[in-house]
Amino acid sequence: MATTNATLILTSKDLLSDELSLSATATLTEAGTSTGISHTSGLARKKITSTAKGTASGQVTLYTADDFAAIAYMYVKNAATTAGHFIFIYDDTTSGDPIEFKLDAGDWGFIPLHGDKTLSAYATNNPTTIEWIVMGKDQ
Amino acid sequence: MATTTATITLTSSDLTADALSLSKTMTMTKAGGAEGLDRVKYIKEINASTAGTNVEVLASDNSQTKASKVYIANLSTTDSEYFNVHIGTSSTQEIGRLYAGDWMLVPWTQSDANADILLAPSVATAMAYEVILFREV
Repeated sequence: MATTNATLILTSKDLLSDELSLSATATLTEAGTSTGISHTSGLARKKITSTAKGTASGQVTLYTADDFAAIAYMYVKNAATTAGHFIFIYDDTTSGDPIEFKLDAGDWGFIPLHGDKTLSAYATNNPTTIEWIVMGKDQ
Repeated sequence: MATTTATITLTSSDLTADALSLSKTMTMTKAGGAEGLDRVKYIKEINASTAGTNVEVLASDNSQTKASKVYIANLSTTDSEYFNVHIGTSSTQEIGRLYAGDWMLVPWTQSDANADILLAPSVATAMAYEVILFREV
């Protein structure tokens, strides 16, 4: 079993009247246990060339449903540098492909996934580069 | 205009053959621009819901074109306890599952008319959670 940590630091000197400084660390474990996660998809970087969901090609699949045992941890980043170049991450399993997250240029998200839905991405601009990694326990 | 940054660091010395070390910082900005988010809301609460029942923690303001980021943490210390995180009301969309000690930071995409954020606990016992909303007005 591996020891993997995800640490978040939130800071601002001027959002509040007092300085904001928050630090949180999660040790990534298998669901409901203290056993460390053991597998990863590896860090990936791809160009999204689709500007819509549900079209024939160009979307990027970030995670395939049930690829990992629950729970899987996903880090995802929009590597674009031009504000307004958005990436949309949607549930590619559920009818209607509902959008879950919208990442502006430079934005990242860290999401503990239930792991039972396929997640795919499209962008407002072709191409837009996305980076991601999924960590968990392989099925 | 405020400057708020979020830095994530992912580390492991033994998940992969070579050590994993990833660190990224984002500055939280308004949609499509460089101006910082300027509103914040902090909630620390103890769940009083029955197992599997959604409780609204953030109400959507239907600002589909605006930016917001949400931090949610499960403060439970019991390994098996979790919150399912949903968006919506009548037809909810699960976006994540937080076990004890886990946190998430995501952009809150209010792409539907009703995009409330809801938490459904795995148990009826008191589970504490923490939510921080950063948004633009």
